[in-house]
Formats: sequence, structure tokens, C-alpha cells
Amino acid sequence: MIPVRYNVRSLAVRKATTFATASGIALVVFVLASAMMLTAGVHKTLGASGHPDQAIVMRMGSDAELGSVIEQSSVALVFAAPGVKTGEHGPLGAAEIVVVGAMEKLGADGVTNVTIRGVGDDVMTFRPEVHLIAGRPARPGTDEAIVGARIRGRIKGVDLDQTFDIKKNRPVKVVGVFEADGSAYESEIWVDRELLRQAYGRQGVVSSIRVRLDSASKFDAFRAGVENDKGLGLQVLRETAFYEKQSEGLSAFIGGLGSVVSFFFALGAMIGAAITMYAAVSNRQREIGTLRALGFSQISILMSFLLEAIILSVIGGAIGALAALPWAFVRVSMVNMASWSEVVLSFDPNARVMMIALAFAVLMGLLGGLFPAIRAARTSPLKAIRG
Amino acid sequence: MTLPGLALRNLSRNRFRVILTAFGVAIAVVAFLLLRTVVSSWEDSAQWAAKDRVVTRHKVTFVMELPKRYVQTVRDAPHVKQVTWANWFGAKDPKMDREFFATLAVDAPTYFTVYDEMKVPPDQLETFKHDRQGTIVGQVLARRHGWKVGDKIVLQSGIYPGDWQLNVDGIYEATAKSVDQSTLLFHWDYVNDSLPVERRDNVGWIVSRVDAPNQVADIGTSLDKLFEDGDTPTLSMDEASFNKSFLAMFSAVLTAMNYISLVILVIMMLILGNTIAMGVRERTNEYGVLRAIGFRPGHVALWIVVESLATGVLGGALGVALAWPFINLGLGRFIEENLSSIFPYFRLEVRNAVLAIFAASVLGGLASALPAWRASKLQIVDAVRRVA
Repeated sequence: MIPVRYNVRSLAVRKATTFATASGIALVVFVLASAMMLTAGVHKTLGASGHPDQAIVMRMGSDAELGSVIEQSSVALVFAAPGVKTGEHGPLGAAEIVVVGAMEKLGADGVTNVTIRGVGDDVMTFRPEVHLIAGRPARPGTDEAIVGARIRGRIKGVDLDQTFDIKKNRPVKVVGVFEADGSAYESEIWVDRELLRQAYGRQGVVSSIRVRLDSASKFDAFRAGVENDKGLGLQVLRETAFYEKQSEGLSAFIGGLGSVVSFFFALGAMIGAAITMYAAVSNRQREIGTLRALGFSQISILMSFLLEAIILSVIGGAIGALAALPWAFVRVSMVNMASWSEVVLSFDPNARVMMIALAFAVLMGLLGGLFPAIRAARTSPLKAIRG
Repeated sequence: MTLPGLALRNLSRNRFRVILTAFGVAIAVVAFLLLRTVVSSWEDSAQWAAKDRVVTRHKVTFVMELPKRYVQTVRDAPHVKQVTWANWFGAKDPKMDREFFATLAVDAPTYFTVYDEMKVPPDQLETFKHDRQGTIVGQVLARRHGWKVGDKIVLQSGIYPGDWQLNVDGIYEATAKSVDQSTLLFHWDYVNDSLPVERRDNVGWIVSRVDAPNQVADIGTSLDKLFEDGDTPTLSMDEASFNKSFLAMFSAVLTAMNYISLVILVIMMLILGNTIAMGVRERTNEYGVLRAIGFRPGHVALWIVVESLATGVLGGALGVALAWPFINLGLGRFIEENLSSIFPYFRLEVRNAVLAIFAASVLGGLASALPAWRASKLQIVDAVRRVA
């Protein structure tokens, strides 16, 4: 076995070349890690909104709350279905209206679509993960709103003690800001259900009905109870499955784009690594010949050059992965294709992403270094020493 | 032999390395072109929009509709030639319920006059106009779902309950790059008549053609003035601005892709620069000898820059040659069929190809700047003495 120190010193001697090759790999890993962190962020944001012991009821054929219309008269029937948990004040559920409003962005041109949810008085009881971080709860039956922490300050009028128009000449005052475990709710505006009904002409209907079940295993019974009543024309989804579906489009888009781009980047960087390693091999013919003459086997030469390529790529990969870490402090707003409204996402730099990014770098080094290493191993000692 | 000719001859000294480098650059060019094509075909929807169409919709939100009487008001407004309207129907084929496509309930007599870039054979259009349950589908959608003229299909919508039976009366093709070829259009009357009375007579948006394309913005504003005092204010935009505002929702993605394109260029430069630097290091001796027999530092620099430029151009051209079949024959066709609502037209554009080759050569020149400068600054004695 040729000492690793030999490879490390060889890399150190050719500083500029090592730097250029490692930077190439670092950039690839940076892009890959960023895309994976954002995909993980999508899952985290939309995934955190769902609970396994909750079900969501929408109109048959609807993918999202936005397009779903349910008659108010069906609400009581759904609440009475088997498996719905009963709290102090009756069944635990929320019948809500979801719309999107075109609102002016702050700090950027144009308008964006914001999800506005018309909620009942007991919304905080039904969603214990929601808590106010500023201001106070909205008083039921008034033109007051509470807004998610992530949307706050991004939209004109949507911040504590400011007002925005929910429709023409109908100002709504923001009295509180809430957090909800980083979920998609943090990108929403919540107002009184009746207010939203009047403003958006949704009298007598709701968009969705959520219920808490006695336990997660009661889902099938509840679903059968609601869906078998064909007259209602409703469909039931487990809340976790619903949000999984919501995040599908966005994460497939980011993930797909990220993989395609990373694939091409990786090919490019691999070729870069191969060029460097080929040059290293041809410049060190004499050294290799000497090593062979000293009795090192072809295998140890092969391993040594492979190892050098891997060290090179790990340096690059580590730099790239570290450089991607500060994304954790960045929030980006994207349009969720499922709801056509803006959702503010964060990057999620978890350990899995970092490991995959590094493994990817190692793979690039391995593949890029393989052929040069084979050439090195095949060097005839006699020819090499003679030059 | 000319001096640049000598530099080009140098390319063949380490053919294998030049080929590898050109491939590295080519791969980067393919990735660059792929991203540029995504961005430009996205932006095309705004570019290729009709200049004389104005879209009027609800001011506050796209989820609310306009009263149908607005259509008449718009029709009577000055400069308006033709008017049509549509509703977002949001239907799915229950047999393929994961597939998304746009379904619009449209005013059958006028829609294809206003959207005249959607071409329907005249006999099919005539059948459609007289068939209350008729539908016209985009050719891409028809192919994907295996629908033929004369088929009967059933759709479901979350917004409009029930099963909707439709007859495929015709298939349209688009002659403009901005038109989605996988939309399904059917009679607004059919939907309207089956709604409960209180939900009837609403339209999603109104589209008008105007006779003064250079005043579309003003015409839009004056249309909005007509409805300003009512309960349902409107927002009218010419089609290009409408598409642009839609695009703006994805601005984060577009920005990200522009940055990634830049990163690719940097990678390209690193690959090129590395190769050139290695070549220069290996030939330091020669440069010393050449300087010793009277060539100027500028000559040395020229050789290096020309060699790098040539490698860049070679890689750029190879990249375009690889990207062309990949985008236009493989990926593009797939995207046009499956993602046509976002990318109705996904093809490599000449301007992007030219941009890529240009970028590759400029970066080739830039990448050689440092090695060339260093080689030209070398003292002859050091250069001759230096061992690679």
C-alpha cells in the first residue's frame, strides 16, 4: 500500500490545478445540495401541515381546497360520521372556506396570490400547533385577521396593525401573527368565515371539512361513512396523504430540475477530474515506474490514484456542501401548483442531504479517476523509468 | 505558418486531452442550453401572446366570477371588435385522475374566432357549434388520452358536481407557440343550464379583441372604469401582460435558473482554464526556448489565448451539436406532450445556441488570461531551467 501522504502531497504540489478541479466539484455539489435542501423543505413545510389522526373532506374530484365546494348542510352530516372525536363542545372539526386573493407584493413588482382562509371561532382549539407570536387573536364576527409568520411583511398591508382590503372598500385589520410549526399555514391569512363568505360571495358553502378522529385507525370507518353516502358527493383523504399530494407537483418540479441539472454538471465535473488525473498520471510516469520497480503491485498503484481522485473530490464536495448550508437562513416564496397560491419555503439542510451530496462527490471522483488510475496501473516500469 | 496557425497546431499535441476538454465544455453547454431553453420557452408565452387581445377578470381574485351582463358592456365599449368568455371548469378524466389538463367552458359561437390561432377543421367546428354536449380538444391531449373525433367521454369536476358527458367533435392544433395544445373546451351553455339558479350566468373571464393593438393598455383601463363602481370590480390586461403576471409568480424559479446558468459557465471556465494551465506548465521549457530565439512575450500570450479560444469554440460547437437532437427530438417532444400547460413549445432556439457558442469562446479567452499572462512574464532563464 502506497502511503496516503504521497497523494496528499502530490495534490498540494499542483495547487492551482487541484483548486480548479475541486472548485468544479464544489459547484456541482453546491447546486445538488441546494436543490435537495429545497425539496426537503417543500416536504417539511407541506408535510408539517398534516396529522395522521385527522381527515379532510372535499368535493369528489377536487385536488385542492380551492376548487372544492361543499354545501353548508353537509357539514353536520360529516361531523356526525363514525370515528369523529368529540371534544368539550361537540365534535372536533373545522369547516373552512379557502380562497386566494391577488395582493401586492412588498419589495418586488406585481401582485401575488395569497391563500385566505375563512375560519371558525374555535380554530385555535382545533389546531393546537398554532400559536400567536405577536398581537392577539381576532375577535369572532369582526373584520379582523391574523396572518402567518412567513407571509408577514411580504405583502402590502399584511403585518401587525396594518390593514388590507379583502374586497373593495372592506378593510381588514391584522391584529395578530401566528406560527404553526413551519407548516404551510404560516403562508396564509386567516379571517372570520362569515366575513370571507360575504366578501367572496360564498354564502352557504365551505371549501373543506377537517375532522379529528378518535384514533388514526378510525380513518377507514370514517371514510366509508362519508363516501358511501353518494348523495353528498364527497371524498375523504387522510390529512397526511392530502398534503403529500399537495407537495407532489412542487417537489417533483424542483427535484426533477435539480437532478437533470446536477446530472449534467456532474458529467462536466467528472470530465474535469479525469483531465486533471490524466495529467497527473502522465506527469508522474517516472514516479510510477519507480514505485513499480520498488515492488508496489499494479493494484496498489490503481488504488493510490483512485484514492487521490477521491481525496480531491471529497475536498470539493465538502466545500460545496458547506457553502450550501447558509441557505438555511433563506426563505423563498414559490407558487404551489396545487393551490396556485404562494407558499413560503425554507431550505432544510438535514444530515441525509449532506451525506448524499458527499457520496455524490465521492462517486464523481471515483468515476473520473478510474480510467486515469487504470492507465497508471498499466505503466510499464521499464519504459517509464527510461522516459 | 502564421502565429495563430502554430497555436492551432498545438491543439493536436495532446489530442486526448483536447477531446476530453471539448467534451467537458460540451456537456456544460448542453446543461446551459437546457436551462436557457426552459427559461426562454417559459418567457415565450408572454412574447408570443396576441397583441390585440385583452383579458378582463375579477380584480381581487381569480376564484370569483363576473356577472355575464359584463360581456355585453364590454362588447359595446369603443375599440372592441369581438368578445368571448370562458370559465375554468377544473375537470379530470376519472380514468386517469392524476393527469392534469385545462378544461374550459367557453362560448361556443365566438371562442374560436377570438382565439384564431387555435385551428379546428371547419366541418368539425360546425358540428361542435350545434352539439350542446360537444367538445373540442387539443391534439396533444387527444393523443395522450387516445380520444378520437366521435368518441364519448365522461369528466368530473370538483367545482361543478356530477358526471359530465361530452362528445369529442373536433381536435384543434395551435399555430402560435404560446398556445397550450392540451386544453379541452366545451359549451358554457351546457354548464350554465345545469347549475342551480343562484349560480347561473357567471363567467370566469372575458376576452376581447380590439382594433387598436397599440392602445391595449388604455383600452384595458377604460374597460375597468366601466365596472369600477359596481360590486365586482375588474382588472383588464392585454394578453402579454397577463402572461407576464402569471410568469411573475414563478420569478423565484426563473431567477434560480439564471443563477445556475452562471454557475455552469464558471464550471466551464474552470475545466478550460485547468487544461490550458496544464498545457502551459508542460511547455514552459519550449516557451523559454522560443523567447530565447527572439519571440516576444506577446507572441507567447497569443499562442496560449488562441489555443484556449479554439478549444472553447470546439467545445461550444460540440455542445450545440449534442444539445440539438437531445432537446428537439428527445426531451422537447416529451415535455410538449406532458407539460404542455407550462411549456407549450420546448425547442432549442438559434439565439440560445449562438449565445452558448459565444459564451464558450469568451470564457475560453478569459480562462487563458492568467496562464497567458504568467507565461509571458517568465524570465527566459527560469523558463528554460524549469522542469514540468
